[in-house]
Amino acid sequence: MSHTVLVCDDAIFMRTMISDILAQAGFEVVGEAETGSQAVEKYRQLKPDLVTMDIVMPDMGGIDAVRAIVKDDPDAKILMCSAMGQQALVVEAIQAGAKDFVVKPFQPSRVLEAVQRVLG
Amino acid sequence: MSDAGVVRLLLFRVGRLVCAAEAERVREILPRLDPTRIPGAPPVVAGVVNVRGTLVTVVEGWRALRQPEPSADGEGGGTTVLLEVGGGKKVLGFTVDEVVDLVSVGGETLERRQALPGIDPTLVRAVGRRADQLFVVLDTDALLTPILSS
Amino acid sequence: MDLSQYAELFLAESREHLSACNQLLLEWERSPANLAPVGGLFRAVHTVKGMAATMGYARVTDVAHRAENLLDLLRRGGRPATDELLQLLFRARDALEQAVELSVVGREDEIDVAEVVADLDGAAAQLGPHPLAPSPPSGEGERGGEVPPVGAGRLVQVTLRAEAPLKGGRALLVIKKAQAIGPVHAVTPSESAFEADEFDGRFSFRIGGTAGTAEIERGVRAAGDVEHVTVGGEERRPGTGAGAAPSAAPETKSRHIRVDLGRLDRLMDLIGELVTVRGRLNELAASARDPAIDDVAIQVSRLSRELQDEIIQARMTPVWQVFDRFPRLVRDLARELGKQVAFRVEGKEIELDRAILDELGDPLLHLLRNAVDHGIESPAERRRRGKQPEGEIVLAAVRERASVAISVRDDGRGIDRQKVLERARRDGVVDPHAEALTDDQLLRVLARPGFSTAEAVTSVSGRGVGIDVAVTRIRVLGGSIEIRSVEGKGTTFVMRLPVTLAIVRALIAGVGAERYALPLTYVAETVEFGVQATTIVEGREAIVLRDRVVPLVHLRRLLGVSGDAPTRCPIIVLEMGERTSGVVVDGMLGQQEIVVKGFDAPQGTLPVFSGATIMGDGVPALILDAGGLL
Repeated sequence: MSHTVLVCDDAIFMRTMISDILAQAGFEVVGEAETGSQAVEKYRQLKPDLVTMDIVMPDMGGIDAVRAIVKDDPDAKILMCSAMGQQALVVEAIQAGAKDFVVKPFQPSRVLEAVQRVLG
Repeated sequence: MSDAGVVRLLLFRVGRLVCAAEAERVREILPRLDPTRIPGAPPVVAGVVNVRGTLVTVVEGWRALRQPEPSADGEGGGTTVLLEVGGGKKVLGFTVDEVVDLVSVGGETLERRQALPGIDPTLVRAVGRRADQLFVVLDTDALLTPILSS
Repeated sequence: MDLSQYAELFLAESREHLSACNQLLLEWERSPANLAPVGGLFRAVHTVKGMAATMGYARVTDVAHRAENLLDLLRRGGRPATDELLQLLFRARDALEQAVELSVVGREDEIDVAEVVADLDGAAAQLGPHPLAPSPPSGEGERGGEVPPVGAGRLVQVTLRAEAPLKGGRALLVIKKAQAIGPVHAVTPSESAFEADEFDGRFSFRIGGTAGTAEIERGVRAAGDVEHVTVGGEERRPGTGAGAAPSAAPETKSRHIRVDLGRLDRLMDLIGELVTVRGRLNELAASARDPAIDDVAIQVSRLSRELQDEIIQARMTPVWQVFDRFPRLVRDLARELGKQVAFRVEGKEIELDRAILDELGDPLLHLLRNAVDHGIESPAERRRRGKQPEGEIVLAAVRERASVAISVRDDGRGIDRQKVLERARRDGVVDPHAEALTDDQLLRVLARPGFSTAEAVTSVSGRGVGIDVAVTRIRVLGGSIEIRSVEGKGTTFVMRLPVTLAIVRALIAGVGAERYALPLTYVAETVEFGVQATTIVEGREAIVLRDRVVPLVHLRRLLGVSGDAPTRCPIIVLEMGERTSGVVVDGMLGQQEIVVKGFDAPQGTLPVFSGATIMGDGVPALILDAGGLL
């Protein structure tokens, strides 16, 4: 059975690309979220095996979303999607409970490596 | 039309004239379709017809080439040739009496524009000969573009 | 990975974000102390940066990165906007827009961003030394739990791969992995150093517990991007790790997609065909008188109607997609001309067919430009006239019956009718003895092509500029345009547009043997001619309908249909804003939905058609344009 994934990013572009990378590798993208609060809500609904989480999103940012998700489910496997120059934010996200991170621009191989690490 | 090389031409008859259009400009050959009149348009325009859901403006060949009006009972104007105009941007219908042939001719057998009785020389791109019969290669753009408004 | 498939998505989404940037900058400009827009700006630019980096558009990424950097400092610094800063950010936004557009078409080389990049960096340097400085400490510097005595446990030294991005984050992941194996302490440098960009990826810590060297090393490597690990002084060579990605069949879930307008158009054409065939089926069913066929015809009707509604809905686009670029335009123009203008947009959420909306940009631009340039007076002049120094321009969309009214209203000086009248008399547009111009006549004069020539520009303060363009465009779209102008008080242009171009309900009228379609959009009612008394008003035949004079248009005469009209025939009363007209036809052939199609109109074609449609029997019928008949 393939792993289920929730993809969270405010850009359709990014969501499409991440979903494509994961779908091609055999993952099942079961949902997408555009904001942090949507991510939290969809996580509750869908209970995905993996979440990819953008850091900067409107409404509720990715880090707050990580906090909220981990509070509900300490085992949540969240992969942060960050950009260069977001060191401090990535550190904060990991402290909040994110399991790993990838840095834009995404290379499919790196994304999949990170996903493997997160899923153990 | 280069002097060398082979040109494919569609030959058709309008009144007494045998004319030709470059085959690559010919989109389709259809039977005569009943046109809907366009009020205000010049008499050379037969109207607009429905070609499988697309509206095509049709020009009366005999009027455009100043040929006598075909008799109402005969086959005159019984065929509509769809021609690309202005580099393929538009398609117009052109009514002809009959399609004669599709021929490939060497560019060298065509003579450059020349004056012919009964036809406006600006509409003639070249003149060719097939089985001892002269045919006029029409400059379809020169013939049809002025009919459309800008 | 083939990136070109994402280019369109990149473009569409970047445009949206950059458009949002304009709104946010304008908002910030209006209330410089309110920092809310800055966060939005930061997010928008950040998103564009991420997308551009993924696409490999280096210059977009570069400009975005530096703009983001500056915005981040502004966001954290809580400084109010200054004019200089806003100008720079507007410029940066424009540069980004240009870079995005050129990059997508493969002309990235032509972009010169050096100047704006330098200015962004300069501004950032003035604000603070740390670009993208770390966020304020979150109070989580030290790991909680029991702290073992310093020096206890085995020393673990880690070097991350040189090419690893964000090494601090990676280091923290290593620490977390290690914590799962045993208690970790004496992290060097301290975890707070991980947040700094300068962190080079070398660190060490001590780990307690009973785990063996191999287990520790495996744990540390599991964090990824680890070059070397040394546990307890005993160095281990890195092995090859990392399992392959799973390779099950790809399975994609439904999600929002963007649809190319061309595809929607084709879909609409197909639906159009279906609607035409449906009409034919209904006719057949009516003549067959077979209940089974009737049943099928009714079902087909229902299904195709639903399908059609869905497609039309998919084409509907809120007007803000076009309106959103105007606040910036008006602002720039006003600044350039030394005017003070408060610009307001109303009814942003009103929806129109995308095909119509796409055509509206230019006419609106002309009208707004005129309003700023020639409508609104200079602040000094406004004060002299007892007005607020700041003028007002309102762009509003309002849904009416079957149409949408879009107006451009200014509270400026209004049009000098006397001057226009003089010109109109000279040109013979009005009766040489005419004393005044009605609004309608005014528009007709202004909309004459060539009225915007130099002479007119100076004598009527250029009001003619572009109005002929706007009027023509709106008419082509099957809409109408009206003007109301009061000297000293301002001018309003109102455009009325059909909600959709693609399929409209229309009356089918017969004239002689010909059929014409008249969209219901502007049909107010039908009355019968021959029963109504006609009169002559201003030289035109008219009827009086509830105290209203309705001038008549005899379609038979207008279109040159031979033969005589019946003695009693219907009059279709059209209404478009203030204007009204009665169209006399031979007979009414019913009402139906028609698919509007274009046709190549030959020269000379009467300017009263907005297109043509294909009737149920497959024969084309021309569509009358209400605007042309009024």
